[in-house]
Amino acid sequence: MTDQEKEKEKSAAALTATADATSAPVPGTATKTPTEEEASQYFYGEALVGFDPSEITGSLIVIEGMDGSGRSTQIALLQEWLESEGFAVQTSGLRRSNLVGRDIDELLAKNAVTRLTLSLMYATDFFDQVEHRILPALRSGTVVLADRFIFTLIARGVVRGINRDYISGLYAMALRPHLTFWLNVRPETAFAREFKKAQAISYWEAGRDMSLSHDLYWSFIRYQTMIKREFEVMAKRHNFIELDGEASVSSVNKQLRQRIAEQLGIRATKYSPSAALAHLWR
Amino acid sequence: MPRPEAAKSTLPQPGRPVPSRAYPGALIVVEGTDGSGKSTQLYLLKRWLEIGGYRLHFTEWNSSPLVKSATRRGKQRRLLTPTTFSLLHAADFADRCERQIMPLLQGDYLVLADRYIYTAFARDASRGCPPRWLRNLYRFAPIPDITFYFRAPLDIAVHRILSGRPKLKYYEAGMDLGLSYDRAESFRLFQARILEEYDKMVDTDNFVVLDGTIPVNKLQKQMRDIVASKIDLKRFAPHAAEAE
Repeated sequence: MTDQEKEKEKSAAALTATADATSAPVPGTATKTPTEEEASQYFYGEALVGFDPSEITGSLIVIEGMDGSGRSTQIALLQEWLESEGFAVQTSGLRRSNLVGRDIDELLAKNAVTRLTLSLMYATDFFDQVEHRILPALRSGTVVLADRFIFTLIARGVVRGINRDYISGLYAMALRPHLTFWLNVRPETAFAREFKKAQAISYWEAGRDMSLSHDLYWSFIRYQTMIKREFEVMAKRHNFIELDGEASVSSVNKQLRQRIAEQLGIRATKYSPSAALAHLWR
Repeated sequence: MPRPEAAKSTLPQPGRPVPSRAYPGALIVVEGTDGSGKSTQLYLLKRWLEIGGYRLHFTEWNSSPLVKSATRRGKQRRLLTPTTFSLLHAADFADRCERQIMPLLQGDYLVLADRYIYTAFARDASRGCPPRWLRNLYRFAPIPDITFYFRAPLDIAVHRILSGRPKLKYYEAGMDLGLSYDRAESFRLFQARILEEYDKMVDTDNFVVLDGTIPVNKLQKQMRDIVASKIDLKRFAPHAAEAE
Protein backbone atom coordinates (compact mmCIF):
# COMPACT_ATOMS: atom_id res chain seq x y z
CA MET A 1 0.00 0.00 0.00
CA THR A 2 1.43 3.40 -0.94
CA ASP A 3 1.65 6.21 1.56
CA GLN A 4 -1.03 8.08 -0.30
CA GLU A 5 -3.45 5.20 0.02
CA LYS A 6 -2.66 4.91 3.69
CA GLU A 7 -3.46 8.58 4.09
CA LYS A 8 -6.79 8.03 2.38
CA GLU A 9 -7.65 5.18 4.68
CA LYS A 10 -6.81 7.25 7.68
CA SER A 11 -9.05 10.10 6.60
CA ALA A 12 -11.84 7.64 5.84
CA ALA A 13 -11.53 6.35 9.39
CA ALA A 14 -11.60 9.90 10.73
CA LEU A 15 -14.77 10.49 8.77
CA THR A 16 -16.69 7.75 10.52
CA ALA A 17 -15.43 8.85 13.91
CA THR A 18 -16.69 12.44 13.36
CA ALA A 19 -14.36 13.43 16.16
CA ASP A 20 -12.76 15.96 13.84
CA ALA A 21 -15.84 18.13 14.21
CA THR A 22 -15.27 18.70 17.89
CA SER A 23 -11.50 18.99 18.05
CA ALA A 24 -10.13 22.50 18.32
CA PRO A 25 -7.92 23.86 15.55
CA VAL A 26 -4.23 23.90 16.26
CA PRO A 27 -2.75 27.38 16.51
CA GLY A 28 -0.31 28.27 13.77
CA THR A 29 -1.72 25.80 11.22
CA ALA A 30 -4.15 28.10 9.42
CA THR A 31 -5.03 26.73 5.97
CA LYS A 32 -4.22 28.79 2.92
CA THR A 33 -6.98 30.60 1.08
CA PRO A 34 -7.52 29.38 -2.49
CA THR A 35 -7.04 31.76 -5.42
CA GLU A 36 -10.09 33.22 -7.11
CA GLU A 37 -9.60 30.89 -10.07
CA GLU A 38 -9.48 27.84 -7.84
CA ALA A 39 -12.51 29.11 -5.97
CA SER A 40 -14.61 29.45 -9.13
CA GLN A 41 -13.69 25.94 -10.20
CA TYR A 42 -15.12 24.44 -7.05
CA PHE A 43 -17.69 27.01 -5.93
CA TYR A 44 -20.40 29.17 -7.48
CA GLY A 45 -18.89 32.26 -5.96
CA GLU A 46 -16.63 32.45 -2.99
CA ALA A 47 -14.65 29.60 -1.45
CA LEU A 48 -15.55 28.24 1.95
CA VAL A 49 -13.35 29.32 4.83
CA GLY A 50 -10.33 27.02 5.04
CA PHE A 51 -11.01 25.16 1.76
CA ASP A 52 -8.03 23.47 0.08
CA PRO A 53 -8.81 22.29 -3.48
CA SER A 54 -5.84 19.92 -3.66
CA GLU A 55 -7.54 17.69 -1.09
CA ILE A 56 -10.60 16.92 -3.22
CA THR A 57 -10.37 13.38 -4.57
CA GLY A 58 -14.01 12.22 -4.47
CA SER A 59 -16.99 13.02 -6.69
CA LEU A 60 -20.11 14.98 -5.84
CA ILE A 61 -23.19 13.73 -7.66
CA VAL A 62 -26.51 15.49 -7.17
CA ILE A 63 -29.97 14.12 -7.88
CA GLU A 64 -32.65 16.79 -8.01
CA GLY A 65 -36.35 16.54 -8.69
CA MET A 66 -39.67 17.15 -6.96
CA ASP A 67 -41.19 14.84 -4.37
CA GLY A 68 -42.38 11.75 -6.20
CA SER A 69 -39.78 12.02 -8.96
CA GLY A 70 -38.01 8.84 -7.80
CA ARG A 71 -34.91 10.45 -6.27
CA SER A 72 -34.61 8.31 -3.17
CA THR A 73 -35.29 5.10 -5.08
CA GLN A 74 -32.52 5.91 -7.55
CA ILE A 75 -30.10 6.89 -4.81
CA ALA A 76 -30.64 3.60 -2.96
CA LEU A 77 -29.96 1.69 -6.17
CA LEU A 78 -26.95 3.80 -7.13
CA GLN A 79 -25.43 3.36 -3.70
CA GLU A 80 -25.70 -0.42 -3.99
CA TRP A 81 -24.24 -0.38 -7.51
CA LEU A 82 -21.32 1.86 -6.53
CA GLU A 83 -20.54 -0.19 -3.45
CA SER A 84 -20.58 -3.38 -5.48
CA GLU A 85 -18.08 -1.66 -7.79
CA GLY A 86 -15.90 -0.92 -4.78
CA PHE A 87 -16.61 2.77 -4.24
CA ALA A 88 -17.18 4.28 -0.81
CA VAL A 89 -20.46 6.18 -0.82
CA GLN A 90 -21.76 8.96 1.39
CA THR A 91 -25.27 10.41 1.08
CA SER A 92 -26.66 13.78 2.03
CA GLY A 93 -30.08 15.37 1.87
CA LEU A 94 -32.17 18.22 3.18
CA ARG A 95 -32.70 18.49 6.95
CA ARG A 96 -30.14 15.80 7.71
CA SER A 97 -27.55 17.94 9.52
CA ASN A 98 -26.69 17.31 13.14
CA LEU A 99 -26.73 21.03 13.74
CA VAL A 100 -30.26 22.06 12.75
CA GLY A 101 -31.94 19.12 11.00
CA ARG A 102 -34.35 18.49 13.84
CA ASP A 103 -34.90 22.16 14.51
CA ILE A 104 -36.19 22.60 10.97
CA ASP A 105 -38.52 19.63 11.43
CA GLU A 106 -39.92 21.38 14.49
CA LEU A 107 -40.28 24.72 12.73
CA LEU A 108 -42.14 23.05 9.89
CA ALA A 109 -44.42 21.20 12.27
CA LYS A 110 -45.29 24.36 14.15
CA ASN A 111 -45.69 26.37 10.96
CA ALA A 112 -44.64 29.43 12.94
CA VAL A 113 -41.80 30.66 10.83
CA THR A 114 -41.34 33.32 8.17
CA ARG A 115 -40.03 32.45 4.72
CA LEU A 116 -36.71 34.23 5.14
CA THR A 117 -35.89 32.60 8.47
CA LEU A 118 -36.81 29.21 7.05
CA SER A 119 -34.56 29.79 4.02
CA LEU A 120 -31.67 30.70 6.28
CA MET A 121 -32.24 27.65 8.48
CA TYR A 122 -32.13 25.45 5.39
CA ALA A 123 -28.92 27.21 4.34
CA THR A 124 -27.44 26.48 7.77
CA ASP A 125 -28.48 22.83 7.45
CA PHE A 126 -26.95 22.69 3.96
CA PHE A 127 -23.57 24.16 4.91
CA ASP A 128 -23.35 22.08 8.06
CA GLN A 129 -23.61 19.00 5.87
CA VAL A 130 -21.16 20.41 3.32
CA GLU A 131 -18.55 21.07 5.97
CA HIS A 132 -19.07 18.08 8.23
CA ARG A 133 -20.19 15.38 5.81
CA ILE A 134 -19.67 16.21 2.14
CA LEU A 135 -16.21 17.82 2.23
CA PRO A 136 -14.65 15.22 4.56
CA ALA A 137 -16.04 12.51 2.25
CA LEU A 138 -14.70 14.21 -0.88
CA ARG A 139 -11.32 14.54 0.78
CA SER A 140 -11.20 10.79 1.29
CA GLY A 141 -12.10 9.87 -2.28
CA THR A 142 -15.71 8.99 -1.52
CA VAL A 143 -18.58 9.33 -3.98
CA VAL A 144 -21.19 11.64 -2.46
CA LEU A 145 -24.78 11.12 -3.61
CA ALA A 146 -26.77 14.20 -2.71
CA ASP A 147 -30.54 13.77 -2.48
CA ARG A 148 -31.39 17.35 -3.53
CA PHE A 149 -29.04 20.31 -3.38
CA ILE A 150 -29.08 24.09 -3.47
CA PHE A 151 -31.39 24.11 -6.51
CA THR A 152 -34.45 22.95 -4.58
CA LEU A 153 -33.66 25.46 -1.85
CA ILE A 154 -33.24 28.30 -4.35
CA ALA A 155 -36.46 27.38 -6.18
CA ARG A 156 -38.48 27.21 -2.95
CA GLY A 157 -37.20 30.62 -1.87
CA VAL A 158 -37.75 32.28 -5.23
CA VAL A 159 -41.36 31.09 -5.62
CA ARG A 160 -42.00 32.58 -2.16
CA GLY A 161 -40.82 35.98 -3.34
CA ILE A 162 -37.28 36.00 -2.04
CA ASN A 163 -35.01 37.86 -4.41
CA ARG A 164 -33.21 35.47 -6.77
CA ASP A 165 -29.85 37.23 -6.52
CA TYR A 166 -30.10 37.24 -2.77
CA ILE A 167 -30.69 33.53 -2.43
CA SER A 168 -28.13 32.63 -5.10
CA GLY A 169 -25.64 34.80 -3.23
CA LEU A 170 -26.42 32.85 -0.09
CA TYR A 171 -25.23 29.70 -1.83
CA ALA A 172 -22.19 31.31 -3.46
CA MET A 173 -20.06 29.16 -1.16
CA ALA A 174 -21.78 25.93 -2.19
CA LEU A 175 -19.60 23.32 -3.89
CA ARG A 176 -20.17 22.83 -7.60
CA PRO A 177 -21.30 19.24 -8.17
CA HIS A 178 -19.44 17.09 -10.69
CA LEU A 179 -22.80 15.96 -12.07
CA THR A 180 -26.31 17.29 -11.46
CA PHE A 181 -29.20 15.11 -12.57
CA TRP A 182 -32.73 16.43 -12.75
CA LEU A 183 -35.44 13.79 -12.64
CA ASN A 184 -38.21 15.67 -14.35
CA VAL A 185 -41.81 14.54 -13.84
CA ARG A 186 -45.18 16.19 -14.34
CA PRO A 187 -46.73 17.46 -11.07
CA GLU A 188 -49.77 15.24 -11.74
CA THR A 189 -47.56 12.14 -11.78
CA ALA A 190 -45.76 13.28 -8.65
CA PHE A 191 -49.09 13.80 -6.91
CA ALA A 192 -50.27 10.30 -7.75
CA ARG A 193 -47.01 8.71 -6.58
CA GLU A 194 -46.83 10.72 -3.35
CA PHE A 195 -50.46 10.08 -2.53
CA LYS A 196 -49.99 6.38 -3.10
CA LYS A 197 -46.99 6.37 -0.78
CA ALA A 198 -48.54 8.12 2.25
CA GLN A 199 -52.28 8.31 1.50
CA ALA A 200 -51.90 12.04 2.11
CA ILE A 201 -50.07 15.13 0.88
CA SER A 202 -48.12 17.18 3.39
CA TYR A 203 -48.71 20.84 4.10
CA TRP A 204 -45.33 21.97 2.74
CA GLU A 205 -45.24 19.65 -0.26
CA ALA A 206 -48.49 21.19 -1.38
CA GLY A 207 -47.16 24.70 -0.74
CA ARG A 208 -50.12 25.40 1.53
CA ASP A 209 -48.27 28.34 3.13
CA MET A 210 -48.58 30.16 -0.20
CA SER A 211 -52.41 30.27 -0.21
CA LEU A 212 -52.59 29.11 -3.82
CA SER A 213 -55.81 27.14 -3.41
CA HIS A 214 -57.92 25.67 -0.64
CA ASP A 215 -58.12 22.53 -2.72
CA LEU A 216 -55.16 20.38 -1.79
CA TYR A 217 -54.78 18.89 -5.24
CA TRP A 218 -54.72 22.24 -7.01
CA SER A 219 -52.47 23.73 -4.37
CA PHE A 220 -49.99 20.90 -4.96
CA ILE A 221 -50.15 21.17 -8.75
CA ARG A 222 -49.78 24.95 -8.82
CA TYR A 223 -46.96 24.96 -6.31
CA GLN A 224 -44.99 22.18 -7.98
CA THR A 225 -45.52 23.82 -11.38
CA MET A 226 -43.97 27.03 -10.04
CA ILE A 227 -41.02 25.06 -8.67
CA LYS A 228 -40.66 23.26 -11.98
CA ARG A 229 -40.48 26.54 -13.85
CA GLU A 230 -37.60 27.62 -11.62
CA PHE A 231 -35.85 24.37 -12.38
CA GLU A 232 -36.23 24.96 -16.10
CA VAL A 233 -34.46 28.30 -15.65
CA MET A 234 -31.64 26.73 -13.61
CA ALA A 235 -31.29 23.65 -15.83
CA LYS A 236 -29.68 25.67 -18.61
CA ARG A 237 -27.54 27.82 -16.41
CA HIS A 238 -26.12 24.96 -14.36
CA ASN A 239 -25.86 22.19 -16.97
CA PHE A 240 -28.40 19.84 -15.46
CA ILE A 241 -28.60 16.41 -17.01
CA GLU A 242 -32.33 16.16 -17.47
CA LEU A 243 -33.84 12.68 -17.30
CA ASP A 244 -37.44 11.67 -17.83
CA GLY A 245 -38.55 10.75 -14.33
CA GLU A 246 -41.68 9.11 -15.73
CA ALA A 247 -39.68 6.38 -17.45
CA SER A 248 -39.23 3.03 -15.70
CA VAL A 249 -36.95 2.81 -12.67
CA SER A 250 -34.56 0.51 -14.50
CA SER A 251 -34.24 2.71 -17.56
CA VAL A 252 -33.64 5.88 -15.49
CA ASN A 253 -31.12 3.95 -13.43
CA LYS A 254 -29.29 2.79 -16.53
CA GLN A 255 -28.90 6.36 -17.79
CA LEU A 256 -27.68 7.48 -14.40
CA ARG A 257 -25.12 4.66 -14.25
CA GLN A 258 -23.78 5.48 -17.71
CA ARG A 259 -23.08 9.11 -16.87
CA ILE A 260 -21.68 8.32 -13.44
CA ALA A 261 -19.41 5.57 -14.80
CA GLU A 262 -18.07 8.09 -17.30
CA GLN A 263 -17.41 10.56 -14.51
CA LEU A 264 -15.64 7.98 -12.36
CA GLY A 265 -13.68 6.58 -15.26
CA ILE A 266 -14.98 3.02 -14.99
CA ARG A 267 -16.42 0.78 -17.69
CA ALA A 268 -18.75 -1.41 -15.70
CA THR A 269 -22.33 -0.20 -15.88
CA LYS A 270 -24.08 -3.58 -15.61
CA TYR A 271 -26.22 -3.89 -12.53
CA SER A 272 -29.25 -5.67 -11.20
CA PRO A 273 -30.44 -5.03 -7.68
CA SER A 274 -29.94 -7.45 -4.80
CA ALA A 275 -32.91 -9.18 -3.21
CA ALA A 276 -33.08 -6.41 -0.61
CA LEU A 277 -33.73 -3.77 -3.25
CA ALA A 278 -35.51 -5.86 -5.86
CA HIS A 279 -38.87 -4.39 -4.89
CA LEU A 280 -37.70 -1.00 -6.19
CA TRP A 281 -36.98 -2.36 -9.66
CA ARG A 282 -40.12 -1.74 -11.67
CA MET B 1 -69.35 50.12 -4.13
CA PRO B 2 -65.73 49.01 -4.24
CA ARG B 3 -63.76 49.95 -1.17
CA PRO B 4 -60.72 52.14 -1.67
CA GLU B 5 -57.64 50.02 -2.06
CA ALA B 6 -55.41 49.77 0.97
CA ALA B 7 -52.15 51.65 0.68
CA LYS B 8 -49.48 49.44 -0.86
CA SER B 9 -47.19 48.01 1.77
CA THR B 10 -43.85 49.69 1.92
CA LEU B 11 -42.35 46.81 3.89
CA PRO B 12 -39.10 45.72 2.35
CA GLN B 13 -39.05 42.47 0.43
CA PRO B 14 -36.67 39.83 1.72
CA GLY B 15 -33.37 40.07 -0.03
CA ARG B 16 -34.02 43.47 -1.55
CA PRO B 17 -32.15 46.46 -0.25
CA VAL B 18 -34.44 48.48 1.96
CA PRO B 19 -35.18 51.99 0.68
CA SER B 20 -34.03 54.52 3.26
CA ARG B 21 -37.53 55.76 4.16
CA ALA B 22 -39.84 52.84 3.52
CA TYR B 23 -41.47 53.13 6.95
CA PRO B 24 -42.43 55.85 9.43
CA GLY B 25 -40.55 54.51 12.51
CA ALA B 26 -36.92 55.11 13.39
CA LEU B 27 -34.09 52.72 14.15
CA ILE B 28 -31.20 53.43 16.52
CA VAL B 29 -28.48 50.84 16.94
CA VAL B 30 -25.36 50.56 19.09
CA GLU B 31 -22.25 48.71 18.00
CA GLY B 32 -18.78 48.13 19.38
CA THR B 33 -16.54 45.41 20.75
CA ASP B 34 -17.33 43.56 23.98
CA GLY B 35 -16.54 45.86 26.88
CA SER B 36 -16.91 49.08 24.90
CA GLY B 37 -19.78 50.24 27.13
CA LYS B 38 -22.46 50.14 24.43
CA SER B 39 -25.07 48.10 26.30
CA THR B 40 -24.91 50.35 29.37
CA GLN B 41 -25.33 53.40 27.18
CA LEU B 42 -28.23 51.94 25.23
CA TYR B 43 -29.91 50.96 28.49
CA LEU B 44 -29.61 54.54 29.75
CA LEU B 45 -30.93 55.90 26.47
CA LYS B 46 -33.85 53.50 26.71
CA ARG B 47 -34.60 54.60 30.29
CA TRP B 48 -34.53 58.24 29.21
CA LEU B 49 -37.03 57.57 26.43
CA GLU B 50 -39.19 55.27 28.55
CA ILE B 51 -39.44 57.82 31.34
CA GLY B 52 -40.41 60.39 28.74
CA GLY B 53 -43.19 58.05 27.61
CA TYR B 54 -41.99 57.54 24.05
CA ARG B 55 -43.22 54.63 21.92
CA LEU B 56 -40.27 52.30 21.71
CA HIS B 57 -39.16 48.74 21.43
CA PHE B 58 -35.82 47.29 22.49
CA THR B 59 -34.24 44.31 20.75
CA GLU B 60 -30.94 42.55 21.27
CA TRP B 61 -28.71 40.30 19.21
CA ASN B 62 -29.30 36.58 19.46
CA SER B 63 -32.55 36.64 21.35
CA SER B 64 -35.08 34.81 19.19
CA PRO B 65 -36.42 31.67 20.88
CA LEU B 66 -36.87 30.11 17.47
CA VAL B 67 -33.23 29.28 16.83
CA LYS B 68 -31.99 29.45 20.40
CA SER B 69 -31.88 25.68 20.87
CA ALA B 70 -29.90 25.20 17.67
CA THR B 71 -27.40 27.88 18.64
CA ARG B 72 -27.00 26.41 22.09
CA ARG B 73 -26.48 22.90 20.74
CA GLY B 74 -24.03 24.11 18.11
CA LYS B 75 -22.00 25.93 20.71
CA GLN B 76 -22.04 23.19 23.32
CA ARG B 77 -20.98 20.49 20.88
CA ARG B 78 -18.72 22.86 18.96
CA LEU B 79 -20.38 22.01 15.71
CA LEU B 80 -20.26 25.55 14.37
CA THR B 81 -17.92 26.56 11.56
CA PRO B 82 -17.48 30.20 10.47
CA THR B 83 -20.12 29.62 7.78
CA THR B 84 -22.77 27.93 9.92
CA PHE B 85 -22.09 30.27 12.84
CA SER B 86 -22.81 33.16 10.52
CA LEU B 87 -25.91 31.59 8.94
CA LEU B 88 -27.47 30.60 12.23
CA HIS B 89 -27.13 34.13 13.55
CA ALA B 90 -28.54 35.45 10.28
CA ALA B 91 -31.55 33.14 10.65
CA ASP B 92 -32.05 34.41 14.16
CA PHE B 93 -31.78 38.00 13.02
CA ALA B 94 -34.14 37.40 10.07
CA ASP B 95 -36.74 36.06 12.46
CA ARG B 96 -36.52 39.12 14.67
CA CYS B 97 -36.36 41.41 11.66
CA GLU B 98 -39.46 39.99 9.98
CA ARG B 99 -41.52 39.55 13.12
CA GLN B 100 -40.47 42.51 15.29
CA ILE B 101 -38.22 45.15 13.78
CA MET B 102 -39.96 45.64 10.44
CA PRO B 103 -43.54 45.53 11.74
CA LEU B 104 -42.61 47.98 14.52
CA LEU B 105 -40.90 50.35 12.12
CA GLN B 106 -43.95 50.13 9.90
CA GLY B 107 -46.11 50.76 12.98
CA ASP B 108 -44.26 54.01 13.72
CA TYR B 109 -42.15 52.86 16.67
CA LEU B 110 -38.73 53.93 17.80
CA VAL B 111 -36.67 50.73 17.71
CA LEU B 112 -33.49 50.42 19.77
CA ALA B 113 -31.13 47.59 18.88
CA ASP B 114 -28.24 46.37 21.00
CA ARG B 115 -25.96 45.18 18.21
CA TYR B 116 -27.09 44.94 14.62
CA ILE B 117 -25.83 43.62 11.29
CA TYR B 118 -22.45 45.34 11.77
CA THR B 119 -21.73 42.93 14.61
CA ALA B 120 -22.06 40.10 12.12
CA PHE B 121 -19.95 41.92 9.53
CA ALA B 122 -17.14 42.54 12.03
CA ARG B 123 -17.24 39.22 13.84
CA ASP B 124 -17.84 36.89 10.89
CA ALA B 125 -15.30 38.66 8.69
CA SER B 126 -12.82 38.18 11.55
CA ARG B 127 -13.61 34.48 11.32
CA GLY B 128 -12.78 34.52 7.62
CA CYS B 129 -16.21 34.75 5.96
CA PRO B 130 -16.02 36.64 2.64
CA PRO B 131 -17.22 40.24 3.22
CA ARG B 132 -19.21 40.27 -0.03
CA TRP B 133 -21.11 37.16 0.99
CA LEU B 134 -21.84 38.68 4.40
CA ARG B 135 -23.13 41.92 2.91
CA ASN B 136 -25.50 39.96 0.71
CA LEU B 137 -26.64 37.79 3.59
CA TYR B 138 -28.02 40.78 5.50
CA ARG B 139 -29.31 42.77 2.55
CA PHE B 140 -32.87 42.52 3.84
CA ALA B 141 -32.11 44.55 6.98
CA PRO B 142 -33.35 48.15 7.23
CA ILE B 143 -30.52 50.70 7.38
CA PRO B 144 -30.46 52.38 10.83
CA ASP B 145 -31.21 56.08 11.27
CA ILE B 146 -28.31 56.29 13.71
CA THR B 147 -25.53 53.77 14.27
CA PHE B 148 -23.53 54.57 17.39
CA TYR B 149 -20.10 52.99 17.41
CA PHE B 150 -18.61 52.84 20.89
CA ARG B 151 -14.90 52.75 20.49
CA ALA B 152 -12.66 51.76 23.38
CA PRO B 153 -8.96 50.88 23.16
CA LEU B 154 -8.42 47.15 23.02
CA ASP B 155 -6.69 46.92 26.42
CA ILE B 156 -9.48 48.73 28.24
CA ALA B 157 -12.27 46.72 26.60
CA VAL B 158 -10.51 43.39 27.14
CA HIS B 159 -9.77 44.27 30.76
CA ARG B 160 -13.43 45.14 31.39
CA ILE B 161 -14.50 41.72 30.14
CA LEU B 162 -11.74 39.61 31.68
CA SER B 163 -12.05 41.18 35.13
CA GLY B 164 -15.82 40.71 35.22
CA ARG B 165 -16.10 37.17 33.89
CA PRO B 166 -14.67 34.06 35.50
CA LYS B 167 -14.48 32.03 32.29
CA LEU B 168 -14.76 32.97 28.65
CA LYS B 169 -16.87 30.71 26.48
CA TYR B 170 -15.30 28.83 23.57
CA TYR B 171 -16.76 30.81 20.66
CA GLU B 172 -16.79 34.05 22.62
CA ALA B 173 -13.03 33.74 23.01
CA GLY B 174 -12.67 32.87 19.30
CA MET B 175 -11.09 29.52 20.21
CA ASP B 176 -12.45 28.07 16.95
CA LEU B 177 -10.00 30.27 15.06
CA GLY B 178 -6.98 28.52 16.53
CA LEU B 179 -5.25 31.79 17.42
CA SER B 180 -3.96 30.59 20.78
CA TYR B 181 -4.47 27.78 23.28
CA ASP B 182 -4.90 30.36 26.03
CA ARG B 183 -8.48 31.58 26.20
CA ALA B 184 -7.69 35.07 27.42
CA GLU B 185 -4.99 35.52 24.79
CA SER B 186 -7.26 34.11 22.07
CA PHE B 187 -10.01 36.53 23.14
CA ARG B 188 -7.60 39.44 22.92
CA LEU B 189 -6.42 38.51 19.43
CA PHE B 190 -9.99 37.91 18.28
CA GLN B 191 -11.17 41.26 19.67
CA ALA B 192 -8.27 43.02 17.95
CA ARG B 193 -9.45 41.63 14.60
CA ILE B 194 -13.03 42.67 15.32
CA LEU B 195 -11.95 46.18 16.28
CA GLU B 196 -10.09 46.44 12.99
CA GLU B 197 -13.20 45.35 11.06
CA TYR B 198 -15.39 47.87 12.91
CA ASP B 199 -12.95 50.67 12.15
CA LYS B 200 -13.20 49.86 8.45
CA MET B 201 -16.96 50.50 8.52
CA VAL B 202 -16.89 53.94 10.18
CA ASP B 203 -17.06 55.82 6.87
CA THR B 204 -18.78 53.29 4.63
CA ASP B 205 -21.65 52.79 7.06
CA ASN B 206 -21.92 56.26 8.57
CA PHE B 207 -21.07 55.31 12.13
CA VAL B 208 -21.36 57.96 14.81
CA VAL B 209 -18.17 57.29 16.75
CA LEU B 210 -18.30 57.79 20.53
CA ASP B 211 -15.40 57.50 22.94
CA GLY B 212 -16.15 54.54 25.20
CA THR B 213 -13.61 55.67 27.80
CA ILE B 214 -15.20 58.92 29.00
CA PRO B 215 -17.43 58.93 32.12
CA VAL B 216 -20.78 57.20 31.68
CA ASN B 217 -22.97 60.23 32.35
CA LYS B 218 -21.00 62.49 30.00
CA LEU B 219 -21.16 59.88 27.25
CA GLN B 220 -24.89 59.50 27.79
CA LYS B 221 -25.36 63.26 27.47
CA GLN B 222 -23.61 63.16 24.08
CA MET B 223 -25.74 60.25 22.99
CA ARG B 224 -29.00 61.94 23.98
CA ASP B 225 -28.00 65.18 22.25
CA ILE B 226 -27.28 63.32 19.03
CA VAL B 227 -30.55 61.38 19.18
CA ALA B 228 -32.52 64.58 19.83
CA SER B 229 -30.83 66.36 16.94
CA LYS B 230 -31.15 63.57 14.40
CA ILE B 231 -34.56 62.17 15.17
CA ASP B 232 -37.86 63.98 15.38
CA LEU B 233 -38.67 62.61 18.82
CA LYS B 234 -41.96 64.51 19.05
CA ARG B 235 -43.47 61.99 16.66
CA PHE B 236 -42.89 59.21 19.18
CA ALA B 237 -44.03 61.22 22.21
CA PRO B 238 -47.17 60.29 24.19
CA HIS B 239 -50.41 61.60 22.68
CA ALA B 240 -48.59 62.59 19.51
CA ALA B 241 -51.13 60.58 17.55
CA GLU B 242 -54.13 62.35 19.08
CA ALA B 243 -52.59 65.78 18.60
CA GLU B 244 -52.23 65.26 14.86
